[in-house]
Amino acid sequence: MADIVLDGVSRVFGHGDKRFVALDKVSYTVADNEFVAVVGPSGCGKTTCMRMAAGLEFPTSGTCKVGGKIVDRPGPDRAVVFQQFALFPWKTVQQNIDFGLRSLNVPRSEAGDRIAASIKLMGLEGYEAAYPHQLSGGMQQRVAIARAYVLNPQVLLMDEPFGALDAQTRTVMQEELLRVGRINPRTVMFITHAVEEAVYLADRVIVMTRRPGRIKETIDVKPVRLAEKWDNYERIEDVMDLESFVHLRTRIWRLLREQHDPADH
Amino acid sequence: MRALTFLLLESGAGMTGADSGKTRLVVGGATIAGLIAAWYIASTTGAIPKLDFPSPEQFVAAARQVVVEPGFADGLLFDHLLHSVKIILLGFFAATAIGVPLGLWMGWSRTAEALINPIFLLIRPIPALAWIPLAIVWLGLDDAAKVMVLWFAAFVPSVINSYTGVRSIDRPIIEASRMLGIGRMAVITDVIVPGALPSIFTGLRLSLQGCLTALVAAELLGAILGLGKVLYQAGLDIYPAMILVGMVAVALTGFVLTALLDVVESRSMPWRKR
Repeated sequence: MADIVLDGVSRVFGHGDKRFVALDKVSYTVADNEFVAVVGPSGCGKTTCMRMAAGLEFPTSGTCKVGGKIVDRPGPDRAVVFQQFALFPWKTVQQNIDFGLRSLNVPRSEAGDRIAASIKLMGLEGYEAAYPHQLSGGMQQRVAIARAYVLNPQVLLMDEPFGALDAQTRTVMQEELLRVGRINPRTVMFITHAVEEAVYLADRVIVMTRRPGRIKETIDVKPVRLAEKWDNYERIEDVMDLESFVHLRTRIWRLLREQHDPADH
Repeated sequence: MRALTFLLLESGAGMTGADSGKTRLVVGGATIAGLIAAWYIASTTGAIPKLDFPSPEQFVAAARQVVVEPGFADGLLFDHLLHSVKIILLGFFAATAIGVPLGLWMGWSRTAEALINPIFLLIRPIPALAWIPLAIVWLGLDDAAKVMVLWFAAFVPSVINSYTGVRSIDRPIIEASRMLGIGRMAVITDVIVPGALPSIFTGLRLSLQGCLTALVAAELLGAILGLGKVLYQAGLDIYPAMILVGMVAVALTGFVLTALLDVVESRSMPWRKR
C-alpha cells in the first residue's frame, strides 16, 4: 500500500503582520495506484502539498503520511519530477538515470537492465551519452521522468512537469505519461494549473482555492473515463472533443472562475 | 607597414560568422603589429626620448643580453623565470588546496560558515601586499616569505568563489539529490563540486592573477633571482630597455599560466562543450 494521506494540513508562513496562511486544514487522500491531479490558481498551495508528500517541506499543523508513515525526509520511494527538470547538468542521460540507483545499492547488472528499460520506456534510445543541455526541454523532462521511474517508486510526485514545455511537446508528453501509467501504474500526485491536462490524465481532480489554500471540490473523472471509453482513443485531441470531456472541463473551469478575485484586475 | 595594417583590419572586418575566430586572430595580430610600427616610428623620429622609453633596437639588445649572454641581475632570463614560476605555483597550490575545500565547506554547511566566516572577514580586506612586512619579519627575504605573501593573495579569491559556487547551485538540483537518497560523500563529489566548478575556476583565475601581482611586488623588495629582481635591478640601473623586457616577461608568464588553467578548466568540465 502506498497511499498519500493529508490530514488537516496547514502551512503558515511568517508571523505577526506578515503572517499568511498558505494551506488551511487541507485533507485529502490519494489512494494506492490512483492518479490524482491537483489544480488551482497560483498561490493556492498545491505545490506545497506535493512538497510535503516529498518531504521537502513540512506542515505547520496536521500530518502528511505516505504508506501509513509520517513523512519526515525526502527519499527515493517518493520520486519527484520537478517543473524545471532539475537534472544534473554535469551527468550524461545515462548517469542521471543511474545516480539514484547507485545510492540504492542496486547490483550493477540489475541496474543496467533497469536503466535500459526506463530509457526504452521514455523513448530515449540513442541519447544515453548526451548531456542535458544538448537536449530539448521535452527530452530533458523525459530524462527526469525516466530518472524517477527507474527507482521503481511506489509514489510519483509531479510538480507541473510539463509547464515549461511548448504546446506540442506537452501534448506528446501527456500521451506518453498516460501510456507509461498503463504499463506501470503508480500512486501519482500531479500538480498543474492546466485544466485539460488534469482531466485528461487523472482519475480524480482536486480543485483548490487560493489564500488560504483549501479544497473547493473533488471531481471523479475515472467513472466518466470508463463509461465513455476514453481509453479507446489514442490521441488527446480526440478525447478532448468528447462531450463527456468538455462537460468535466467546463465544470472545473467554472469552479476556478468562481474564486477569481476581481481585485486582481 | 601601416598601410598593411589597415589592409588587414579592413579584410578582417569584412568577414563574418564561421571565420570569426580567425578574423579575431588577424585583427589582434594587426593591432599589435601596428603598435610596434608606431613605436618604431616614434622612437626613430625622436617623438619619444630614448632615455624615457627604449627604442625597439634597444629592447632587442636588452632581451638578447638577458636571454642569451651574459645575463642580468645575477642570472639568465630562464633562471629568473623558473624561479618566479616555482614560487607562483607553490603559493597558488598551497593556497587553493586549502581555500577551495574551505569555501565549499562554508557554502555547504551553515555551521562551518558561522565558525569560519568571522576569521575570514578579518583577513579578507587586508591586501596581500600588506603581509610583506610581517612575512619578512617572520621568514626573512627568503622564498618562504614570498610564498606566504602569495598564499594570502591566492587564498581569498579561491575561498570566496568556491563559497558562492556552492550557493549558486540551483535549489531543485540539491532537492533532486536529496529525493534520490544520495549519500553524503556522493553529494559532495557528484553534486556540490561539479555544481560549483565554474565558479571555482573563476576563483582560481583570480588567485593566479593575484599570485603574479604579489610575486612581482614581493620580489621588488629583495630577491636572489626572479622576474621582480630583473625589474628592480633595471630600475636601479636606470635601464628602460631592460625594464620593458622584464615587463614583457611577466606578461608572457601570466598569459601562459592562464592559458594552462583554461585548458585544465575545459578538460574538467566536458559537459560545457558543445
